Amino acid sequence: MADFIHKPQSAALAFMVAGAVWFVVGAVYGMFSAIHLVAPEFLPHVAALVFGRERPVHINTMLYGFTGTMLIGSGLYYLPALLRTRLWSEPLAWVAFLFWNLTVLSGPVGFAFGLTQGREYNEYVWLADVSLVIAVACLIVDTGLTIAQRREPQLYVSVWYFMAALLWTACNYPLGNVMWHPSTGAMPGLIDSLFLWFWGHNLPGLLITPLATGAAYYVIPRVTRTPLNSHTLSLLGFWFLIALYSHIGGHHVLQSPIPNWLKTVSVVDSISMILPVSIVVINLWLTARGFGGRVWSDPSARLVMGGIVWYIITCIQGPLQSLPFLQRVTHFNNWTVGHAHIAMLGFGGYIALGAMWHVLPLVSGRPVYSQKLVNLQFGLITLGLTGFFLVLTMAGLVQGSAWHNGETVLRVLPEIAPFMVLRAALGIFILTGSLVGLFNLYMTLRPVPEPELLRRAEEAA
Amino acid sequence: MKMTPAVLIVGALMVFWASTFIIVGLPSMTMKDYPSDIWRPLSPLEREGHRLYVRNGCSYCHSQFIRVSDWDIGAERIARAGDYAGIEPAILGSERTGPDLSQEGGEHSDDWNIAHFTNPRYTTPVSVMPAWDFLTVREIQALAAYVQALGGKDADLRHKRQRDWKRQAQVAYAGGVDRNIEWLHAQVPEVWRRMPNPYPATQAALQRGKRIYQQLCINCHSPIGDGNGPAQPFLGPPPLNFTILRRHLVENRYIGGIFYYQIMNGITGTAMPYFKKHLESEKIWDLANYLAVSFLGYTDANTEPRGIDASYEGNWQNPYPPPAVQESP
Repeated sequence: MADFIHKPQSAALAFMVAGAVWFVVGAVYGMFSAIHLVAPEFLPHVAALVFGRERPVHINTMLYGFTGTMLIGSGLYYLPALLRTRLWSEPLAWVAFLFWNLTVLSGPVGFAFGLTQGREYNEYVWLADVSLVIAVACLIVDTGLTIAQRREPQLYVSVWYFMAALLWTACNYPLGNVMWHPSTGAMPGLIDSLFLWFWGHNLPGLLITPLATGAAYYVIPRVTRTPLNSHTLSLLGFWFLIALYSHIGGHHVLQSPIPNWLKTVSVVDSISMILPVSIVVINLWLTARGFGGRVWSDPSARLVMGGIVWYIITCIQGPLQSLPFLQRVTHFNNWTVGHAHIAMLGFGGYIALGAMWHVLPLVSGRPVYSQKLVNLQFGLITLGLTGFFLVLTMAGLVQGSAWHNGETVLRVLPEIAPFMVLRAALGIFILTGSLVGLFNLYMTLRPVPEPELLRRAEEAA
Repeated sequence: MKMTPAVLIVGALMVFWASTFIIVGLPSMTMKDYPSDIWRPLSPLEREGHRLYVRNGCSYCHSQFIRVSDWDIGAERIARAGDYAGIEPAILGSERTGPDLSQEGGEHSDDWNIAHFTNPRYTTPVSVMPAWDFLTVREIQALAAYVQALGGKDADLRHKRQRDWKRQAQVAYAGGVDRNIEWLHAQVPEVWRRMPNPYPATQAALQRGKRIYQQLCINCHSPIGDGNGPAQPFLGPPPLNFTILRRHLVENRYIGGIFYYQIMNGITGTAMPYFKKHLESEKIWDLANYLAVSFLGYTDANTEPRGIDASYEGNWQNPYPPPAVQESP
């Protein structure tokens, strides 16, 4: 019965499947939220489905559930593969799987009933925080000991990112979530906004970014069948990321009464983020140079490269919108929502999906059921997300400019209604993309007779 | 540089903690949580409301800090660090789908807030806020109490003003329909009472006025202007029935200036909010013409006293004769 938790790479597969399921759940909640911003009386009187409760479910399920879970899954595969060994303990990874997913589950079953700490990106209640930290601790032990028993002397850059993401999260998460105040998860007074946005921005920056970067560093050279362009650039990208990233959360409260020196640090380091980002992107781009055809013709690598493109767009936009003068127009409105979507679904999500489809045959020993469906998923999500980005950015500019010119929030609300309708419509593409992915995954993994597998293998070859 | 496990693990942690010390450690040691001039502690009911505010995700649409560049509700007070002393958590917010609430206390009357939480569209037809009618009465009251405390001592001043004027408004309403209107008109400064609407009530202007009525007024005052919109059961005194204003024109003639003033400034104490932050001059005058023409069958637009016509105006003649003078009973 318990054999499956000892089966090599079973935990990696479990994480990836869970990620695909959470993607659907998160997209459903996103869809409800989008509809409610158009039609607030849609499904009235359902306490669990009011915007204030469904939005955190959407966000946390997408962040931790979809992107985080799926990227950890692919990491649990490439980590031992790159170290020419096995995962130190498969059952320990299953323990991590259990606790990690309990935390994610506490979103839909908790937030919907008001069980939340209410701080953006720090909503999980204390017990769920503990569960997440246990999961990360298990993964650290497993990763560390896998590194210790490695047969490959060199640590490849993906290994650095995977290990570091876990280490940083183990330090970051309890701090930003103020876990020593179990009842509120918050500090009293204004300083709480610094703790809140410390984790609020380190979550994408020091959990999702290193996991996604590690996955991209794994997939791209494998698909192009070329060595990594530069070890030095890998090093620079890695150390710049950690040196700068933890400073930039303050740009979310740039116009609030926090001390000026903190604002300065936040802005300067936000701008500096262009360094590690462009270093990573250049390094991957140069690795793939001359072999773009191999990337484009491989559906999973295309997703990863798409994620890299979103990464560079996100990380040019992000530093720019941290500039105080620009932020007067872009803050507090849908511009930021658009930015968050291309960061999390565009950068993190694309790479998570790409890595998942790339790793899936290696883990399961079965070719992906249908590469056409992977392509379809890429198309649906790309259409949806590109539309999202444009529509939300435009809506944000309308809001920000109108407010800046003296219009009140209430009067601008009808102005953005058409954008919100478009946004909900585009959400259908993303939701469909998540469903297509789950179907493809199910069809890949369901028990099938041997000849069918052979036929698929032939098609894939 | 060779990345050994030691360099990776020790290095990653050391750089992380050094960096974190600057952004979290230093502020923790240097930032002081002193109350500001408007700060006051929250009452137990208000604290309960704060918990509800946090647990129900109100902060995803409502920020709680006013910036130097803001104009909207609350913009009389730019946020200061001490405004948040001791609040745990003080959620500043990252999104303004609805207005900033840091100075919301006393902006509206208590009954307006209860109606608004029950269904935001009762008081604010264009709102996309969810209806909170699944909360208990007690919870809605706690939420309203919290919102009325936002802004500290400044909020208390405003809230007290709301309650004082509510008493007077209720007395006036109890005195009967006509007494009530006399009282309401008596609160309008003298210069406004004999001021005709300077904007011609053209078809286009009436259309614009109608649109504003539908966006801002309709769910209190109702589509036919009789004050029986869905918010009415919550409000005391109830929304004004415009149709009876026909027998209360000043000198049997003027009503435009009174409409303008009441829309601009609201009637503090009642659920009637001020609209001067939402609407500029022409929009208020257009709305006043719409109210007058639709619900009184008469407008004083473009009647004497009037100055030189504005350059855009056509040759518009007011087609509405004032009502016949009524014999006083």
